[in-house]
Amino acid sequence: MINREADIHPLIEAVVNGENQLAVTLAERLVNSGFPVERLIHDGLTAALRSLDAKCSNEEFNLLEIMLSGRAMMAVMDQVVARRLPALEQVQAPPERTIILGTIKGDIHELGKHIAKMLFKANGFKVVDLGKDVRPENFVKAAIEEGAAYIGVSSLITLTIPCIREIRPMLEAEGAKHITVIAGGAALQQACPEDLNVDIVAKNVFDVLRCLCPEQPSQTRASLRGFA
Amino acid sequence: MTSYERLLCAVAGQKPDRAPAAPEVFGVTARLCGRRIRDYVSDGRVIAESQTAVRAELGYDILFAFADLSVEAEALGCSLIFEDDAYPAVQAPIVRDKGDIAWLALPDPSRSGRMPVVTEACRLLREAAGSECVIAACVMGPVSTASQLMGLEAFLYLLADRPLDAGRLLDFTEQTTLEYGKGLIAAGAHCLVVFDPIASPAVLPPALFALHEAPRLMRIFERFKSEGALISWVSIAGATQKILPLFPKLGIDLATIDYEVPVAEGFRLAGGMALNGNIKPFSFVSAQPGEIKQMARACLRDAGERRNFIAGSGCEVPVESGRENLRAFVEAVKEVG
Repeated sequence: MINREADIHPLIEAVVNGENQLAVTLAERLVNSGFPVERLIHDGLTAALRSLDAKCSNEEFNLLEIMLSGRAMMAVMDQVVARRLPALEQVQAPPERTIILGTIKGDIHELGKHIAKMLFKANGFKVVDLGKDVRPENFVKAAIEEGAAYIGVSSLITLTIPCIREIRPMLEAEGAKHITVIAGGAALQQACPEDLNVDIVAKNVFDVLRCLCPEQPSQTRASLRGFA
Repeated sequence: MTSYERLLCAVAGQKPDRAPAAPEVFGVTARLCGRRIRDYVSDGRVIAESQTAVRAELGYDILFAFADLSVEAEALGCSLIFEDDAYPAVQAPIVRDKGDIAWLALPDPSRSGRMPVVTEACRLLREAAGSECVIAACVMGPVSTASQLMGLEAFLYLLADRPLDAGRLLDFTEQTTLEYGKGLIAAGAHCLVVFDPIASPAVLPPALFALHEAPRLMRIFERFKSEGALISWVSIAGATQKILPLFPKLGIDLATIDYEVPVAEGFRLAGGMALNGNIKPFSFVSAQPGEIKQMARACLRDAGERRNFIAGSGCEVPVESGRENLRAFVEAVKEVG
């Protein structure tokens, strides 16, 4: 039976390199040989996430590489893991792991948000994606309805800053000031939280994940749940 | 020295009377003149009047013939969303699977979309400034236009999965950059700036920059030179340390470095070529004039005795920037000399 740590290294490498078909083939082969699916997630996919995180921490963040790795990870989850552990897909994320994501009104760029969504899910978060050009009041409404702990607001341009600044007072007016507001995106990362009236300004999605889940990425079941 | 002489002198590495100040100011000039961004991007006269008026007031050393980042995509057939006081944006991609572009036609700068608006602005600016100030016309680079035509996500996957198809799309957008640039040179631009934000290492891995972008930029600038451009300028934002060593081979005279690239490191990596930068753009919105002065002085101090440093912003000065911050920037550059 294959169950050694070394056996999973090629899978980690394939995910990090963004080779989605190879990653699926290797994952399938491992599972068919008796490698436990949960270890595949924990020692394989979350290890790949850790590797990406380390790379981003070294100022080597590259959108295309993250997209390709994320796609490979999703392919393994969809084509190999989900078929074998379908029951876990039904588990609901708790409110403290729920985040409302959207691109703020005045901005229609969504790619950064898509990447964030993928990686939040991979870390066990329930993500409610409001899409693009979202009014501040809609972030607040959705967060209250979902009982979410976080609002993640994205923008590529600085002209949207006045809209972003409205979210915090709206939350306070609704008695929901406990909800953490996180801003991210190419232009916003130049600002500080006070400029945007938010709690966190993230340099990238890994930056946020380190803040929100310091235990990350060793969340076996949470990781699986995120792909439901 | 006139602004024109000062900038050309600095780019050539000869000693100007002081460092030129060339912040990347576009829509902010309209805002400072009380005009709507929608009018700025739609009317060549508004571009020329805004650029001329704000330069006359603040005294920096460049004029830009540029509307927004979507001019090329619109000229190729993309629909844009226009807001009253924001730059337009591409509504939806027009190139679908496999980067099929057989049906697309190259733009005509005298007729396609708003290209005539910007060529008209260029002509008016040249008439107004003559050879007193460099007229810099800006065009989008091949990678960014391709990303707009296909959508960024789809284009990046195409680049990874079907590089030959991506290459054909990039060949087409390279020709688009060339045609538009030629039109702007014919309208009086002294300098051609290629913006290619999607070619930044934050998005495009440096190896793919070397493979797909660098050879295209070389061809583009060679052609711009042969058409009469006096200055060839690349502006790619972000932490560009890994691609700067390729810049001396691109046939360019000047490159912008963003705030993430320290000035001295930029000079070392780019082989000593002329650089423009590197005030953090959002500082023009969030900082106080005194802080902007300190930042400008720090840039110039970091450039040391180099003659080919042009003080500027690491990327576009945001539209909502304060007048006093821009004024403080120019004053600091003039004070340092």
